[in-house]
Amino acid sequence: MQAAPPQRDLALIAGLGALLCLAATASLFVGRGGDGPTFGFGGPEIGAMIFAEIRLPRTLLALLVGGTLGLCGAALQGLLRNPLAEPGLLGAASGGALGAVVVFYFGLATATSVLLPAGAVLGSVLALAALYGLAGRRGDFLTIVLAGIAINALAAALTSLALNFAPSPYAALEILFWMLGSLADRSLTHVYLALPLMVMGWLLVAVSGRGLDALTLGEDTAKSLGFDPRRTQWLVIGGTALAVGAAVAVTGVVGFVGLVVPHLLRRAVGHHPSRLLLPSFLGGAVLVTLADCAIRLMPPGPELKLGVVTALLGAPFFLHLVMRPQQGGAA
Amino acid sequence: MTLAADAIEVRYDTRLAVRASSFVLAPGELVALVGPNGAGKSTLLRALAGLLDHGGTVAWCGQALARLDRRERARTIAYLPQNPPVHWPLLARELVDLARLPHRAYGARPSAADTDAVTAAMRETDSLELATRGVGRLSAGERARVLLARALAVQAPVLLVDEPIAMLDPYHQLDVMNVLRAYVGGDGENGPRLVVAVLHDLGLAARFCTRALLMNDGAIVQDGPPQIALGATAIRDHYRVEPLISNHAGEPVIVPWRRLDSESRCPAAAVRPLD
Repeated sequence: MQAAPPQRDLALIAGLGALLCLAATASLFVGRGGDGPTFGFGGPEIGAMIFAEIRLPRTLLALLVGGTLGLCGAALQGLLRNPLAEPGLLGAASGGALGAVVVFYFGLATATSVLLPAGAVLGSVLALAALYGLAGRRGDFLTIVLAGIAINALAAALTSLALNFAPSPYAALEILFWMLGSLADRSLTHVYLALPLMVMGWLLVAVSGRGLDALTLGEDTAKSLGFDPRRTQWLVIGGTALAVGAAVAVTGVVGFVGLVVPHLLRRAVGHHPSRLLLPSFLGGAVLVTLADCAIRLMPPGPELKLGVVTALLGAPFFLHLVMRPQQGGAA
Repeated sequence: MTLAADAIEVRYDTRLAVRASSFVLAPGELVALVGPNGAGKSTLLRALAGLLDHGGTVAWCGQALARLDRRERARTIAYLPQNPPVHWPLLARELVDLARLPHRAYGARPSAADTDAVTAAMRETDSLELATRGVGRLSAGERARVLLARALAVQAPVLLVDEPIAMLDPYHQLDVMNVLRAYVGGDGENGPRLVVAVLHDLGLAARFCTRALLMNDGAIVQDGPPQIALGATAIRDHYRVEPLISNHAGEPVIVPWRRLDSESRCPAAAVRPLD
């Protein structure tokens, strides 16, 4: 017999946790100035400021956003019982972006800092509610993906519309840059804004874990095991909308993390949907933190946007997933 | 302890898929739910399992199932759909362990009782040696046995199975019927249990089951011991086949022999004279 699953999982979680500590420490030590990367903190006084105002928020947000994307990706894949599901595919991220852009467009972002995340969360919720309305009843993967594509397209079109009518070229550029996804120039205020919503989203998703396991055998069996698939569906979709909406609100769109991370870890947890959740959270946090460190280590010049980096890495990976014949899963 | 169905009715749009079905089933019975395709067997089974909106009531020990707490109901009635999907290639043993979800709290480790139930169910279904294999790599027959083990491992007093032997070779068909019969008998800790199985093999139904419910066109048209409920007249009337009924070593043998096509039963079909 192999090691009992809980022990194997514990080793995996401990490993990812250690990796996360390393990545976070690195992220706290690496900065970026006009001449490219900088290391350490400089003097003691300015050092404390750099640490508290620049590095700490940036590192925390990388952890939170990465963890959110990993966790929600794993939960959506479990819900739809398909390894190609991802918050971005389903319109949660683009809906959030649209919500934020609307706030930008009406110049409300400067009025109060609560409105931007509120707009993004509302956009996410609306996008996923639309998805559910279009495809929830039938619930087969193809319908959901097609509905997601339609919602993505609509959100993108409306975002373009906002850009089209942007009051000034500067405003358009601001929106565009914000949408690319970045962790630069964020403060602890952003952390405080996003964290409560993210935690609420995480909790909703975490509660669905057993329901996701039961769904492995289809909706009828899940029901006969005492789980209501509709409830599981709403927990995951609602939790994803809250957490991803909050993530989009503070960083813009960071794609593909939610697709790649659960996929890399699935084998290690024996394809068990609920046991994939925590490792995916940790893995997503590690990945985004490391990607953000790498961005700061680039040679001098305009800083690369985080969303650009994850998309550059993620798109080929996605293609690889699609082209490869499906393994055993659906039997 | 009885499972009492009172005036069960299931409507799909305007069509009545199951009409006014009432019966009382008790532990110790192995019930064959039989009937031609489209008779409403699977629908009735799903209604009993609480998976469908239906008219009438299903009660266990006098208590309406609809009022039971979801988990309590899951512990009372286990259900195995026909050829259910397996979406992730879990190890066979972990798949069977899903049966124990209604028995443990959120986040709890499997208890000794859980482990015992899983092992016992896999031993019963002859699938213990598959325990550490991924479900994606099993043959259709192996997969069917593992899924049956999943249903048994709930250790519910009522087990509803939809065509459990449809995909199996004769050896494993007999094996599954034996497993179901043993499950009805109960074991040291659990008393007798009730199994309702949708079957198409009338011979195995007659040999192994203690009672047969014959359905046609949404209604239960025969209810009784298989010898009577699956008599030649009933089979002719409802299956439209001429059966060959015999005895071997004191057990009934039923073989559907020849189609019966008559004007009154299917006016649209090509009419052939009886020979």
